Order: sequence, then C-alpha cells, then structure tokens
Amino acid sequence: MFNLSAEDVTKTFREGRETVNVLKGASLQLAPGEVLALEGPSGSGKTTLLSILGCLLSATSGRVEVAGKSVDATKPSKLQAVRRQHIGFVFQQFNLFPALTALENVEYALNLKGVVGDDATRQARELVARVGLADRARFLPRDLSGGQKQRVAIARALAASPAVVLADEPTANLDAGVAAQILDLFSELARREGRSLLIVTHDPKVRRVADRVVHIEDGRIAA
Amino acid sequence: MVDLGLKTLLYDKVRFLITVSGVAFAVTLVLVQVGLFVGLLDNSTITIRKLDADLWITSKNSPNLDFVHQFPESNLYRARAVPGVARADNLILSFMQVALPTGAEETAIVYAMEDFSKWGVPWQITAGSVDDLKRGSFVMFDESASKRFGPFAVGDYREVNGRRLKVVGTSREAKSFTTTPLAFMDFRRAQELQPELLSGKTSYIVVKLAPGADVETVRAELGRRLPYNDVFTSAAWAERSRGYWIENTGIGFNAFLTVFLGCLVGVVVVAQTLYTSTMEHLKEFGTVKAIGGSNLDIYRMLGKQATVAAVLGFVLGYAPAQLLKPVIAAAGLKLIIAPQTTFIVLLGTVLLCLVSALVSFRKVAGIDPALVFRA
Repeated sequence: MFNLSAEDVTKTFREGRETVNVLKGASLQLAPGEVLALEGPSGSGKTTLLSILGCLLSATSGRVEVAGKSVDATKPSKLQAVRRQHIGFVFQQFNLFPALTALENVEYALNLKGVVGDDATRQARELVARVGLADRARFLPRDLSGGQKQRVAIARALAASPAVVLADEPTANLDAGVAAQILDLFSELARREGRSLLIVTHDPKVRRVADRVVHIEDGRIAA
Repeated sequence: MVDLGLKTLLYDKVRFLITVSGVAFAVTLVLVQVGLFVGLLDNSTITIRKLDADLWITSKNSPNLDFVHQFPESNLYRARAVPGVARADNLILSFMQVALPTGAEETAIVYAMEDFSKWGVPWQITAGSVDDLKRGSFVMFDESASKRFGPFAVGDYREVNGRRLKVVGTSREAKSFTTTPLAFMDFRRAQELQPELLSGKTSYIVVKLAPGADVETVRAELGRRLPYNDVFTSAAWAERSRGYWIENTGIGFNAFLTVFLGCLVGVVVVAQTLYTSTMEHLKEFGTVKAIGGSNLDIYRMLGKQATVAAVLGFVLGYAPAQLLKPVIAAAGLKLIIAPQTTFIVLLGTVLLCLVSALVSFRKVAGIDPALVFRA
C-alpha cells in the first residue's frame, strides 16, 4: 500500500495552436515513511508532476491515488478536499502569510483542515515546538530568518497529519548549513510519523536524506 | 479561528487607512447632502407640522404651502358648521416687502391669524408674546431674519409694505424652504397692508377636529361644502408641499446626483484598493487554495475586509457630518441626520463595499492554485 501513487500520467497544454506534452506517461510510488528526491533539469516536467501529485492540477490521462484512494480530478472541489485531508506543501519561497505570526500560520492551516478553537491552538503550538521555534511562535515572518521561515512552513505542512508532504526546492533559498538542518528535521519528522515525503530539488544535499532518487527527463521518469 | 482577512487588512496600515478614508469621505458627502436636503424639506413644511391643525383647507390645486392664491374668508363659517370640527380659523400666508434701515428692501413671508396662541405658532418664542400682535401695528420676526434684514430687536420699527410696524417679539426655527424670513402679524393687519390682494380673503382655513371625530369623514364633508377648495390632512399637505420642491425644482435631482457621486467615489476607492490588494496577495490566495482552502473561504475573507472597511469608514465619516452641524447652522441652513437616514447610509455603505469586493471575487475565482510553485 502506497501513500501516493501515479501511474502513466500525462499532461498536455495548449499554447496557441501548438500542443505541448509536458508529461508523457510518468509513474512513481511513495510508501509511508519514504523520502523520495525528484531531480531533473528545467522544463523536464518536475513542477507539473508535483502539481498533479499535489492535486493542484488534473492529469490529462493516467491514474493518481492518494492515501489509497483514486483521485477524481473531474471536479476542483474534489481535488481541494484531497489536498485538505491528505497533502501538505512546502514551497521554495516559504509562502507564509505575512500578517500572521508563526503560530497563526500553522493554526490557520489547521483551521482550513477543520481543526478549530483550543485544539487548533494546542496542535499549532506543538508543531511549532517540534520544529524548534517555540520561542519564535509570536514572531511575524518578516522577523524570522530564512531557515526559521522554512521551519514554520514545515510545521504548517505537517498540520493535521497529512499522508503526503510535497516540497518544492525547500532548500533553494537557504545557506548550506541551514539547508542541511532543515533537511534532517524534515526527513526525520516524515519518517517518524510515517508520512511520505517527495522533495523536488536541484540540491545534491537532498540525496543524503532521501531513500530513493528518481530523475525526470522530457516528461518521463528515467530511473 | 485565525482571521486571515482581518489581519491582512490591518497589516498594511497605509492601504487600510486609504480605504477607510475613501469610505469615510463618501459617507460624509452623502450624509451632509442628504442631511441638507432633508433640512430644506423640513423647513418647507415645518409650519404645517408645528401648527396644531388636523386639516388644511386650501385654494384649489395649490401646489405647496408657499404658493397659494386667496379665497373668500367667509368660507370659514361653512367650515365651522361641519360636524366634527372643534375649531377653525383663517390663516393668511403672503409675501410682503420689508424696508431695511439701509434703504434696501427684502421679502418676508407673512403668516397672519387672529389668534396664533390657539394654534401653537410660532412654536418657539424667544421674546415678546403673540397675544400682543392684535394690540396695534405690530409684527414678530423669526431670528433667522437677521441674516437678511440685519440685526433687530424688540422695540425696533420696520416698514412692511409701506407701513411702519413695531417689532414686539421674536421666534426661532420658523423657516421657509426658500430661506425667505418669516414674519407673524395679526390677520386684519395683513389685510390692511395688502388690501388689493387680501381684503376679505384668506390663504388657508386651518381646522382642529373634535375629539373622536373621524378625519376622513370630516374631510369629505368639508370638501362637499367647499367645492372650490381642496382639503388635506396635515400630513398629506406637508407631503404635497415637499413633493412639489422635489419634483418641480432641481433640488431632488441635485441631491440624487450628489448622493450618487458620493456612492461612486466610495465604490471606486474600495473596489480599487481591494482589487490592488487582491492582486498583490494572489500568491497568498493561491497558498490558501493549495493548503485546502476554497474560493468560498477567500470570498468570506474579502467580504469581511470590505465590511470592516465599510463600518469603520462609516464611523469616521459620520463624526465629521455631525461636527458640521453647527457650522451649517451658522450659515442659516439645517442639517438633519435622522436615525433612519443613518441606518440606510450604513446599510448602503456595507452593501456598496461588498459590491466593490465582487471585482476581487472574480479575480480570486480564477486563481490557479498551482501558481504557488511559480517564482
């Protein structure tokens, strides 16, 4: 049983009169607790695959399963429900809400996932503590360093215990030392809690924490 | 629940201030314009409302209180004979010329009755007594007349239609729609001053009903016995007078236009700032969608931002409108902001701000959550 499975996924975009085949039958699986690094050159289809696996985009053909259930990509509301219940995201540029404190950023994600009131505040506090930012919980993102922001983003991605966490270049905006710390923290949390972690990256340091590395080239998974 | 909408709104304080100021400006503009409009209409019918009469008998087809033609004063006796009439009196309303000490002349609207005290007019006497009016060549002016006539006091003399009259009293709050000053004098004195127009004539007969008398029955009977007159209830006569000014002069359209422009300013400011804010926060909205939020969650957020801007803008716009009251009063005008006006403007402000947010709603509906992966 996989937390995330993609089978023969294709994605075609129309650009004017031209049809562009970005994904040409990509398949991959992630087991619970597995950390997978997805590498590939620019334009290889990494981000498109990540968007489809994260239920942000629907595939042209193929099959996607999240937490053992086939994703019905015909309706945006169904995709949204899958994202809310099963998927956490970490972005290259953190994408924290600047008006919310570190704690509130996490609590807001919990609210969207249906956890409210004191429960949400308690869980948010625990998550912020787990990423080592208990003493920065009341800080706004503008008052946090890049590494601290990414820790908040990780705490937010883990809110409400998603089966799958998808990270897009999570170390791209961090210096080497901080990036290593973040990767260790991230992979350790994922493994300990049985979550599947997919990291899209150009950063060779990611290989150190990954159980598997797969390459995507010209819309196909190479190895 | 973490209130992302409110916190985002307050986070960018300069933008928030601009939005709220825009709404406040529009609210002040609308309240002052509507208040002045209501104030003018209030002036136009204040004597109808203050005079203690249930029915007004007017000349046929009179359009409003100030524009009347005269009819025989003897009609009064037919009116008094109608069952259900407790008392009835003639009332003259006529424009007369007042010579000022400067040599200039001004117009006054003269109200003349045999016994003002029975009818409660003038309702706010600041000097003298209306009972003195019938004792000689006397006149009372409303204090507001000093703006046009210059300062005057009890004991002064003024020439009205060529006759020297002594000022024996003053009133307050008795005004007309056109801001022409009001004067009060004895019924016979007015007829003496304008014999060619008023001899044996009256402008109105005002009627007070006996307790328990049915207004409609008495009104119908008066109409039957005085076929060359019209009979109105006080409320209907006031409504007709107000309607004349609204429909037959530019004031109604002018007020509508200013209110419309005020609303437009508010809508444009709010829509523009909310839309700009939405455009700047597109990635955040994309993030909301990516982490499980729906369009509805974002609509609620924008709706709340619009509502908060509306309510705060209203409060900040209401205060200056109230503070302007004494300034406007000093200019001889009246600013009336009734509770129902306040409520309607508040409701309108919230609704228009929500309508302004619709522009942003459209933008949000089209946000692709996958934009979160774009740099």
